[in-house]
Amino acid sequence: MKKETIVLLWIFGVMALNLTSCKDKGFSETEPASCCSSSPIMEEAVTDLPDLSVYHLEGSWKNQLGEQVEMIDFAGVPVVLTMFFSHCEYACPLLVHDIKEVENKLENRKDEVIFVLVSFDHKRDTPERLKLYAESQGVGGNWMFLHGSASQIKSLSVVLGINYEELENGQFAHSNRKLVLDRDGVVVFQQDGLQTKAEPVVSALTKLLH
Amino acid sequence: MRSFGFNNLWLISLLWLYSALLYSQSGEMVRIKGGDYMPFIKGQTDQVLVNSFWIDTKAVTNADYLQFVAANPQWSKSQVKRIFADENYLSHWNLEQEGTGRFAELAPVVNVSWFAAQAYCEWQGKRLPELHEWEFAAKALPVENQFYDSLQRIISDWYSNRLRNNFEVGSLYQNTYGAWDMHGLIWEWVYDFNSITMNDDGRNQEEMPEGLFCGSASLNANDATDYASFVRFAFRTSLKGNYSLRRLGFRCAKTAD
Repeated sequence: MKKETIVLLWIFGVMALNLTSCKDKGFSETEPASCCSSSPIMEEAVTDLPDLSVYHLEGSWKNQLGEQVEMIDFAGVPVVLTMFFSHCEYACPLLVHDIKEVENKLENRKDEVIFVLVSFDHKRDTPERLKLYAESQGVGGNWMFLHGSASQIKSLSVVLGINYEELENGQFAHSNRKLVLDRDGVVVFQQDGLQTKAEPVVSALTKLLH
Repeated sequence: MRSFGFNNLWLISLLWLYSALLYSQSGEMVRIKGGDYMPFIKGQTDQVLVNSFWIDTKAVTNADYLQFVAANPQWSKSQVKRIFADENYLSHWNLEQEGTGRFAELAPVVNVSWFAAQAYCEWQGKRLPELHEWEFAAKALPVENQFYDSLQRIISDWYSNRLRNNFEVGSLYQNTYGAWDMHGLIWEWVYDFNSITMNDDGRNQEEMPEGLFCGSASLNANDATDYASFVRFAFRTSLKGNYSLRRLGFRCAKTAD
């Protein structure tokens, strides 16, 4: 073979190698995030949870007492979950009222359930603000108001099928959805709307309590 | 040997050029200067300010996504949690860990959920584009002297299914912002696809936005781009975060400094 031919073959060979190795390296402008991604869903999931458990969402929230809370911390207890924001003038007071109804109808079993209200408003609903809000609502210790990052809130809303949008005036347009989660964090019941009947939620919870 | 050494040097510089070219192809982004725009859904007067942002010039390919799965096995077909991706996830891949499936490597990856797309972008140090960013980038017209010279033609061809499957990314048209195939190839996930709320106080979420269905004044039914917007927005409202659909892929974005 002529030397030129060999050289040419070599060029194509190395080019082909280069093509393959390019794919191994990742070719974005930015280096991929290393081990400790802040993503709530990138990390190793807890293994014994059902596939459909909301508690696969990782990441740490803060409650109205400023304590770190993870979704998985609710495992083992039935949960009533909704998303709201404290500056909400119309819908959220009704939403909270609906949940209070549920609590009342649970009567002596209400302490076996946790009521979790996650705020859309990561800028204004600080743990301190949520504490004031909880006090103003006069709710008990089994009510948990959560503050998280914008991306945590987005991921949770997507998991729960709750639509929302921040408006220019700082308010949020949002779906009003209450969900009942079983002890594994699987959604077993959901109810849309405001001034809804408490009975279906109570009956979903009662099934979990037996 | 002396001549071989010379060849070597020549080769190295050639390879350097060649790989520079290669590296610039996938994951390459273009900076889009922000501005006001009139979003489809808000009616005729509402202008939305979009800040400057970076967006991938092309959709993420099967080859790109394979790399991600290899580095993040929790996103492999066998390990992914159903809450994050339904049973159709990567269903067009024969083998998930090898590059030997029958999917086209340079075709856009589809059958990926919102969570998967979002995780991919975070892995790249990016994020999914916001709805307004995506729409802003997509409204740019094709650059001149291409086979497709108007969005209308692309979209009507697409909807009448004359475009075949498995097109490679970067094969259809480039718009004046430098982004490829914003229409005509696949649907694309946006970060806040679930932002389409019903009305301002969220009292009745069964109601769809009026602008979407009532033919508000901003709509011109004869305009194929508006018809396309209609279909696109309606499609987005039908999605759930774990849906993995045959024609739905994504590209990533980044906030510009």
